[in-house]
Amino acid sequence: MAADTFATVAGAAAEAGATSSAAAGARPDWPALARRARVKRAAGQSALLAFLLIVSLPIILPYFWMVVISFTARSGGVSTEVLWTTCAVVVPAVMIYIVVHLMAPSPRVRMVAGVLLLMTVGALLASLVGGQLHLANYRFLWRTNIIEEIRSKATAGGQFPSVWIAFRNSLLLAFSQTAIILTVASLAGYYISRFAFRGREAFLQGMLVLHAFPAMTLIIPIFLILHWVGLLDTMAGVILVLATIELPFYVFILKGFFDAVPWDIEMSAMTDGATRRQAFRLVVLPQIKVGLIAVAVFAFIRAWEEYIFVRTLLIENKNWVMSLYLFWVSDDIMGVDYGIVAAVSVFYVVPSLLLYVFCQKYLTQMTIGGIRG
Amino acid sequence: MARIELTNLRKQWASAAAVAGVDLAIEDGAFIAVLGPSGCGKSTTLMMLAGIYSPTAGDIVFDGARVNDVEARDRNVGIVFQSYALYPNMSVLENVMFPLRFKKVERSEAERRARETAALVQIAPLLDRRPSQLSGGQQQRVALARALVKRPHLLLLDEPLSNLDASLRLSMRTEIRRIQRELGVTTILVTHDQIEATTMADRIVVMNAGRVEQVGTAKELYERPHTLFVATFVGSPPINLFDARAEAGTLRVHEANLSLSGAAGGAVVLGIRPESLRVESAGTPARVTAAEPMGREVLYTAQGPMGVVRFLEAGAEARHREGDSLLLAFSPQESLLFDKATGQRLEAHVSA
Amino acid sequence: MTTSTDAAEVSGFARAQVRRQRANFALFLGPALVLLACFFIAPVIVDLVLAFTDMDRTLAVTRFTLENFERMITRDSRLVASLGVTAVFVLATLGIFNVTFALLLALTTTAVPRGLGAFFRAVWLLPRMSPSVVYALLWLWVIDPNERGLLNQVLIHLFGMAPIDLRNNHPLLIIIIANGFIGASLGMIIFTSAIRSIPEHLFHAARADGAGVLPIVRHIVFPAMRWPISYMTIHQTLSLLVSFEYILLITGGGPFYDTTVFSLYAYRRAFDNGQYAYGAALSLILIVVGVIAALVMWRLMDMRRLLQVPRIEVH
Repeated sequence: MAADTFATVAGAAAEAGATSSAAAGARPDWPALARRARVKRAAGQSALLAFLLIVSLPIILPYFWMVVISFTARSGGVSTEVLWTTCAVVVPAVMIYIVVHLMAPSPRVRMVAGVLLLMTVGALLASLVGGQLHLANYRFLWRTNIIEEIRSKATAGGQFPSVWIAFRNSLLLAFSQTAIILTVASLAGYYISRFAFRGREAFLQGMLVLHAFPAMTLIIPIFLILHWVGLLDTMAGVILVLATIELPFYVFILKGFFDAVPWDIEMSAMTDGATRRQAFRLVVLPQIKVGLIAVAVFAFIRAWEEYIFVRTLLIENKNWVMSLYLFWVSDDIMGVDYGIVAAVSVFYVVPSLLLYVFCQKYLTQMTIGGIRG
Repeated sequence: MARIELTNLRKQWASAAAVAGVDLAIEDGAFIAVLGPSGCGKSTTLMMLAGIYSPTAGDIVFDGARVNDVEARDRNVGIVFQSYALYPNMSVLENVMFPLRFKKVERSEAERRARETAALVQIAPLLDRRPSQLSGGQQQRVALARALVKRPHLLLLDEPLSNLDASLRLSMRTEIRRIQRELGVTTILVTHDQIEATTMADRIVVMNAGRVEQVGTAKELYERPHTLFVATFVGSPPINLFDARAEAGTLRVHEANLSLSGAAGGAVVLGIRPESLRVESAGTPARVTAAEPMGREVLYTAQGPMGVVRFLEAGAEARHREGDSLLLAFSPQESLLFDKATGQRLEAHVSA
Repeated sequence: MTTSTDAAEVSGFARAQVRRQRANFALFLGPALVLLACFFIAPVIVDLVLAFTDMDRTLAVTRFTLENFERMITRDSRLVASLGVTAVFVLATLGIFNVTFALLLALTTTAVPRGLGAFFRAVWLLPRMSPSVVYALLWLWVIDPNERGLLNQVLIHLFGMAPIDLRNNHPLLIIIIANGFIGASLGMIIFTSAIRSIPEHLFHAARADGAGVLPIVRHIVFPAMRWPISYMTIHQTLSLLVSFEYILLITGGGPFYDTTVFSLYAYRRAFDNGQYAYGAALSLILIVVGVIAALVMWRLMDMRRLLQVPRIEVH
């Protein structure tokens, strides 16, 4: 407060000095200004980081808990002791790292500090909670009837399929959907980006409306159409539906990438003797590799996590995908055995998170509504 | 107005040092130019002076006080960016008045001062327009007015003329110089254009790879460059350079032997400016390989025992043709010798 | 003679060109058109027809009728309640999280050192990138009404409070926050890139001109946010109006109908009660709203930029 008033006075003095363009005595009080700036900078950064840490905790903590439960819960019970012990070790470590990060500009110091902290945390955790870790909750991976065993209900034939069937279905769904979207959307995106044809403008407008249009509202008629053509409760039906309703979005994304390819390169391919189809395949497509990867990753993750449509359009348990498997597991044994539910969740979430983490640099290349995301 | 001192100023980015120890003193009211190729650290130095970047090490001193930690807003520094950085959502008047918002100046007083400054840089009729409705030269003037309106201690110009066309650049050079003289504000111009630096500034600081190579007037830089870099960077067309060996009174350049006076030995580089070479009745023989008329003079390329040589001759038309043989002479005072390893100039001269 | 051969040849080329044009159209656009016609356009038409029938769980249509709309307007008190829930849900989620909090996140994560900012943005993207069933499960664990719930753990041990049952007592709050966390991340991404696309020199100039943090936000950042904010508002209003995934998973629309928003109401009518025609009629309203919003967004977009003229004229 005192420094502040002082600075204002000094500023006013500087003002007067500048106006009369003389007076050596009217110079700003530089040391006071520097002091104020240092305090302000430190306070500002700490406030920002504190804010971000606090608002992010409600997100980090539950994910963290899920992992902890999956590796520690025994015979259905949940002990939160491990969670809080781990937090007590990890949170201070993260804070120390942030302080180091802010104080030390050199990347080498940061890395050394990071490795040291990581080792400390690892050692502390191993000694404090290491003994309580186990893999028993993951036994659903090799024991197919585990859910029935837990509920101790002898369901004839077993209501729950092996997790691997659901896993296979999810992979099938995600890969087929990605393949369809990549092929169809890159063909269409290229055509509306590069070809002159009658009705191009109308088509583009139509796509724009569809791209913004919420397909979720169509779930009832889609259900009926699949029922009428006999594709209800088949993987093929779900794959076609999901690929289609997301198609306009991806057509636009890829159109954006095609728009950015310089015309010269295509023109020179054609003067070199290529047809437009050859120019597309041999010259233009390789140019938008980043876009294709981004679309593939995004489409895969979206398909992997889909719930509402698969819940509505797939019924029999041999057609379950991972989201349905997890939903029914949690629905059935949530109150009985937290550990298994958490383990199934971790098993389900890891592939999409890995993909997201490793392909983030591609995903940021996508533009949403004309803005780079 | 302020006297500025930089001592051992450094700025380290994650990968490399942008500024690697700059020492510089700028007198109150001086107009200096910082000249150097792109990436030499000149703009980074400017940003540190403005308080946008904070130095990794070293001191920035205003009037004897260290201001490293003082916020940009408190430094009372005006700055004109290469892109002008006008606020697109504000009118010209609002742009010019913007710095006064934070100075506790009455609105009417602020407007009066903004109009006064606008008149100084001759943009008074444009005050209601938006930046997007202005030409490049007009935007430049608005940026200058915005930098000057708060009566800064220090005016920083970051490549202010590089986005203007040639004729506009010429008139803005005189204009900026006039305004600087009128206000007497300490001014630092950052540029990669030696003509800009020599015509506008009292003194020139040549920077390379994050360091100051030499400080001096245009004449000093041209006639007595301290380093090979300064000799190459200042002067157009560029200086002729020859790798040479100095041994006991003789300099061996390619196939030619020149007599050497002064202290020099080992591997050196000989530099002779194209305008120092004259066609005379005695000298080194050379055969013309190309003649390029450049308006009022002709630039010749010739092949001689020293290697490829370029020289200038006054006159609109070429007097020598491709294949002509002639003799080239230069005065020993105009020959420059540099140590090949360190790039430092040696106190030695050669004659043919 | 020669001229007629030339003419024949020219028209031959022209015919080949037209043929190639048709073939290219079929090859490039055909697959997309077929898929969109079958699973996007056809459902819209089916819904339009269905809304005027009496289809029930037998999936048979016996007659065409306006009954569904009559019921909607005059006899469905639950629909009125659900409209209220929808309004609160959409306005609160959008206003608090998808715009305001997203903007706050974008501003703060761009104001801290780059690596830390990226870290916090990645954290906030976690819910969006993880499957909805998992995300919903995490919420169920957090708000678990007995003392095992994560929230109750914190309340009991840190603040010494009694355990609370949010799911039954404040279900609307839960679905607003749960959807808000997801929505905030999209806004954060869009606003962050909008802030990033402001020329750096403008920030530098403003700082040299003496502006502090708030004036910079007001005079430099906000003017550049007008378009992203209006885009986000329309886009997110629409997506909040129609999406009920997290609500269905976390509260199931309950307790009773307390968190049944309009779109979930349509879904529950169709798939829980087998009133397919009534569900279709309810969806029809959402479809109309969707088309209108899509058209508004289309107006917002810069059509001329999207429609660059093709510079190769042959096919």
